[in-house]
Amino acid sequence: MKYLKAFLVAAGWTTLLGASAMAGDVKVIANPSVKAESISARELKSLYLEEKSSLNGAHVEPVIEKHGPAHEAFLRDYLGQTDDELQKYYQALIFTGRGMMPKTVTSDAEVVAYVARTKGAIGYVGSSANVEGVRTLAIEDSSGAASGSGSGGGRQLVARVEPTYPEDLQKRSIGGTVRLKVVIAANGAVDHVEVLGGNPILGESAAAAVQKWKYATASSKTTMEISVPFEPKR
Amino acid sequence: MFRRAGMLLLFWLGAGAILLHAQDFKLFDRDIQVHGFVSQGYIYTGGNNWLTMDTNSGSAAYTDMGLNMSSPITDKLHVGAQVYDRNLGQLGQYHPQLDWAFADYRFTSWFGVRGGKVKTVLGLYNDTQDLDFLHTFALLPQSIYPTDIRDVTIAHLGADIYGDILLKNNLGTLSYTAYAGHRSDSIYDGYTLLEQSQGVDLKSQGGLQYGVDLRWKTPLKGLLVGVSRINQDITATGSSTNPVDPTGPLVPFTSNSNAVWTNQFYGQYVKGKLRLDSEYRRFFTNFGSGSGNTNDVRGWYVSGAYRIIKKLEVGSYYSHYTIESVYYGPIALEVPSQTDTSLPQNHIYDKVITARLNINRFWNVKVEGHFMNGYGVSTYPDGFYPQLNPQGFQNTTDALVIKTSFHF
Repeated sequence: MKYLKAFLVAAGWTTLLGASAMAGDVKVIANPSVKAESISARELKSLYLEEKSSLNGAHVEPVIEKHGPAHEAFLRDYLGQTDDELQKYYQALIFTGRGMMPKTVTSDAEVVAYVARTKGAIGYVGSSANVEGVRTLAIEDSSGAASGSGSGGGRQLVARVEPTYPEDLQKRSIGGTVRLKVVIAANGAVDHVEVLGGNPILGESAAAAVQKWKYATASSKTTMEISVPFEPKR
Repeated sequence: MFRRAGMLLLFWLGAGAILLHAQDFKLFDRDIQVHGFVSQGYIYTGGNNWLTMDTNSGSAAYTDMGLNMSSPITDKLHVGAQVYDRNLGQLGQYHPQLDWAFADYRFTSWFGVRGGKVKTVLGLYNDTQDLDFLHTFALLPQSIYPTDIRDVTIAHLGADIYGDILLKNNLGTLSYTAYAGHRSDSIYDGYTLLEQSQGVDLKSQGGLQYGVDLRWKTPLKGLLVGVSRINQDITATGSSTNPVDPTGPLVPFTSNSNAVWTNQFYGQYVKGKLRLDSEYRRFFTNFGSGSGNTNDVRGWYVSGAYRIIKKLEVGSYYSHYTIESVYYGPIALEVPSQTDTSLPQNHIYDKVITARLNINRFWNVKVEGHFMNGYGVSTYPDGFYPQLNPQGFQNTTDALVIKTSFHF
């Protein structure tokens, strides 16, 4: 009885955490023509601030949502500014001729539809959105400077092993995004993985998979934060 | 003049209303974006008349507007142009000008080229100073961004190279712009007006300018610091009264610069709803041959703005402006130099408070109070003109500024 109670409490927290992650998180999607499996948070910010217009040498076109929870979460987590600040930023570009307003749509479904049909398009949607026809990109949040252990400039992922999605959680539609701290050796092998946030069961699965990933070689060890999304099937 | 202004306003507002719902359209299978803005202000002052208006009686001769079109030609090339028009007291007078028009080719994130008429990057806000809807304040600090002589730094016909460099080790982003081109002032600008008070009728003013801007988005989130420099080689031409025979016919007038340069240092910190800005500018001119004068203008400000709720922002700044004018050669025997910046004719210290109400995403209203000490009228203008204050200057000026702007 005692164990059953503990199990129910744990299950309740797991469900709550999963639901919370689903409500607050976004996933970044791209047209299949975009030659990338992952993107660093820094690159993502540069693309949306029009400081950068290509990914791995190919042109990409960001699309934004006009409003909504995915938009708010994306602004907060990846651009670090409010919608008003972002609008002013774009207006300064537009009215000095230095840039143009990105394609703006009003819902997750419109983002997915636009990204699916537009070569080079990249967008963001809520973590529970149906993303059929587009590619979901893993986000690498570089934190090398904080850990003081390397460049942290976003190492290129060259081999990826997909994490196992526990059947039990899939059946219950428990998903969300797991945040991991990853230490990558100079030779590209993953040295160490630590779960920073998200559903603990999904975290364990993601960590096991990421431990097998392979990155491009670099001059020194790198510490990064990455996000691994788990999308429940509908 | 009023009829012309009314027609223009109607045109812009009509165009805005139509285009508000059609900012993006296709023409010959190309994506075109159209955007525009219009602003209207009112200023009432106690003390001196300000910004070439009869502000002691209250004046609404404070209107500006712009309309632009841009289009991507390829993934890396886009083109665009903007027309700008304003009426500020005796300045602008609703003579539209090409504000910017250029082609922009971005080879990579760290290297791009722009060619045509380009807004000059100088400090935090030089290139966006006309865009009222971007700023908390109705008037940016006039020690750095004097609206009556905006043409002195606003744009150049030439080319820029620019780029954003993501620094390694998470050291932030370094952005650079370097440019060279020709500056051409409108004859409806403040400098022309000041020269008129000295018996000179300017027909043209402009010349070569080149410079660089470097700004660093630091690893500390929200903190940006930067530095700008411009060198200019300016020639002014026109006609003036004959100093030997003041009642006789006008004689040709030409003035060449020996040195004109600006150094600017700036910083900005944004955290949540709070924005702090500070800038310092030194603007130096030396005109004349054997006999002439130098102007050494130094300005700085500290400003803070806070968004209380989504629709309401408040802000305040202190703006500090001083000018030293030194005459040399024979003219120095007739005109005394002005080097004591504690005198009101050689400084303007402006304390400002503002409230900005965002009625919706496209429309805002601002109410602003200025409390100025000094009038800084010298051989270079900064808001106060002798012919607009024939009774003589008072040492202090308080101003109420109300401004509204709409953009799409």
